[in-house]
Amino acid sequence: MLQMKFKQDHYGYLFITPFIIAFLIFGFYPVVNTLYLSFTDTTLMSKQVNIVGFKNFTNLFNDDIFMNAVKNTWLLWILNFIPQIGVAMVLSVWFTSLRLNIKGAGIWRAIFFLPNLLMPASIAALFFSLFGYYGPVNQFLVRMEILPEAMQFLQNQNIARTLVIFIQWWMWFGATIILLMAGMTAIPESLYESAMMDGATESQMFWNITIPLLKPILVYLFVTSLVGGMQMFDIPYLLTDGRGSPSGSIMTNNILMYLKFSSSKGHIGAASSVGMLVFIMTCVFAFGIFYFLREKD
Amino acid sequence: MQSNYRLTTNILRGGIYVCLFALLIVTIVPIWLLLVNATRSTIEINQGIGILPSTHLLENYYILEGKGLYLWRGFFNSMTLAVSSTFLTVYFALLTSYGIVVYNFKGKQFFSNFIVILVLIPMQLSIIGFYQYMSKLGLTDNYASLILPTIANAGSVFFAKQYLESVVIRDLIDAGRVDGASELAIFHFIMLPIAMPGAVTMGIFAFIASWNNFFNPFILITSQEKYTLPMLVQTLRGDTYRTEFGSIYLGLAATIVPIIIIYVIFSKYIVSGIAMGSVKE
Repeated sequence: MLQMKFKQDHYGYLFITPFIIAFLIFGFYPVVNTLYLSFTDTTLMSKQVNIVGFKNFTNLFNDDIFMNAVKNTWLLWILNFIPQIGVAMVLSVWFTSLRLNIKGAGIWRAIFFLPNLLMPASIAALFFSLFGYYGPVNQFLVRMEILPEAMQFLQNQNIARTLVIFIQWWMWFGATIILLMAGMTAIPESLYESAMMDGATESQMFWNITIPLLKPILVYLFVTSLVGGMQMFDIPYLLTDGRGSPSGSIMTNNILMYLKFSSSKGHIGAASSVGMLVFIMTCVFAFGIFYFLREKD
Repeated sequence: MQSNYRLTTNILRGGIYVCLFALLIVTIVPIWLLLVNATRSTIEINQGIGILPSTHLLENYYILEGKGLYLWRGFFNSMTLAVSSTFLTVYFALLTSYGIVVYNFKGKQFFSNFIVILVLIPMQLSIIGFYQYMSKLGLTDNYASLILPTIANAGSVFFAKQYLESVVIRDLIDAGRVDGASELAIFHFIMLPIAMPGAVTMGIFAFIASWNNFFNPFILITSQEKYTLPMLVQTLRGDTYRTEFGSIYLGLAATIVPIIIIYVIFSKYIVSGIAMGSVKE
């Protein structure tokens, strides 16, 4: 019997082989290839390829456009993440509170989550239309006499940034509510009951029971949001002209990578170095967060 | 004291419902305007905001077609990609995770940890190397370059593993073996039917991810007749359609209506799936 089991365990390799092959071809090799390209001056046009060492990287660090894109990406991510987690936390507390007993929590939550499933490209194009010069927002504000005349919202740097942040928040706070509520309902009720016996206030219970026990989920949210945020593309790309306008205020890492790739010469060497730097930066921060916030036993 | 507590609770609750209602408006209004404007003519849209549907849906569609934007073709292309990606993702995620959950082979723990790391790594950032490599293989402007990579979808394997751990019935596998079924037959004919609810959840997410994906097809696909819906959305942002507001909204509506329908039907699966992908760990 034991021997039979041993023989079957080899089937594990059979089951995972397709994944490993597909990963090597479509996942691993492209990373290696991107790394290689980032050390070359490859373009889509030229046949001849030279190894240029770290030149692409030193160029990037001396390039204000790249540094601006990195700064923007962080700014847009952080300013959307804080209200996202804040609003979601407040709503999750309300929805799970036995004292408040909010009606239809599941329905509210389901509606708030809907924007998360919609196509980001369409959402960006939608907000472009809504906030256009002839768009409904201008129509509304002028008719209500809040604005004396229509306004070019998307030519104002701060408004463009605020809109990107708002759209990201709008698309993600519902998903965050679902995760936080799943974490909160998993906390044993008895912990709160014994804290209440000891005379703890609601805010004491929140900070000393809820938050520490939510830590694994908070770390998960933080890391996945960061990894996604560093690759932000669809919304800032389609909200204005695809070049991070106005004045590069919503230029992100991936938009810059795409612009280098799609430039008339197709500088894929330079584009690869953008990809690699963002890849390394994201991994360092993601695993750093994981390491510092891990459960210390 | 008791009634005071109840009073503050009631006031608090009232305030909360006001906040929830405000958030509801913020969530729904942009989507509602999009759907309604898809049925209104450009003239009506220019005259002011309307919250009721009008009758110009078909007219808007013909304007798009007249300008060479074939919504149905984009819809069909997106559907082809999404359906094939979904089947590959779900099938291979279940196959891979079944291998991890059921068998005790050497390197299993390493492989399992490796999947978790893969979930966190931004693989998308190697798209340029991927593009150059695909062009060498002659697979650019070919759906294969978008479909085949879904065989190795780490996020889905992670999800499938969590799911299988809770539904695999070892006695049933052993019973299959006693009856002389092969390991692959046991997977296909005994475990797959049991794992169906998880497969549906995973499939919905795979479908939506493929449907909404703009960046990859935007880089890999070049010929007009292969454009997917998000690429048509990008086209709609161009000068040709600048003043055809009704038609623009219709184009956008075509991308979100199928997802809203899926959500209305499967919202239970989707909401529970979001939580399941992460919480256990």
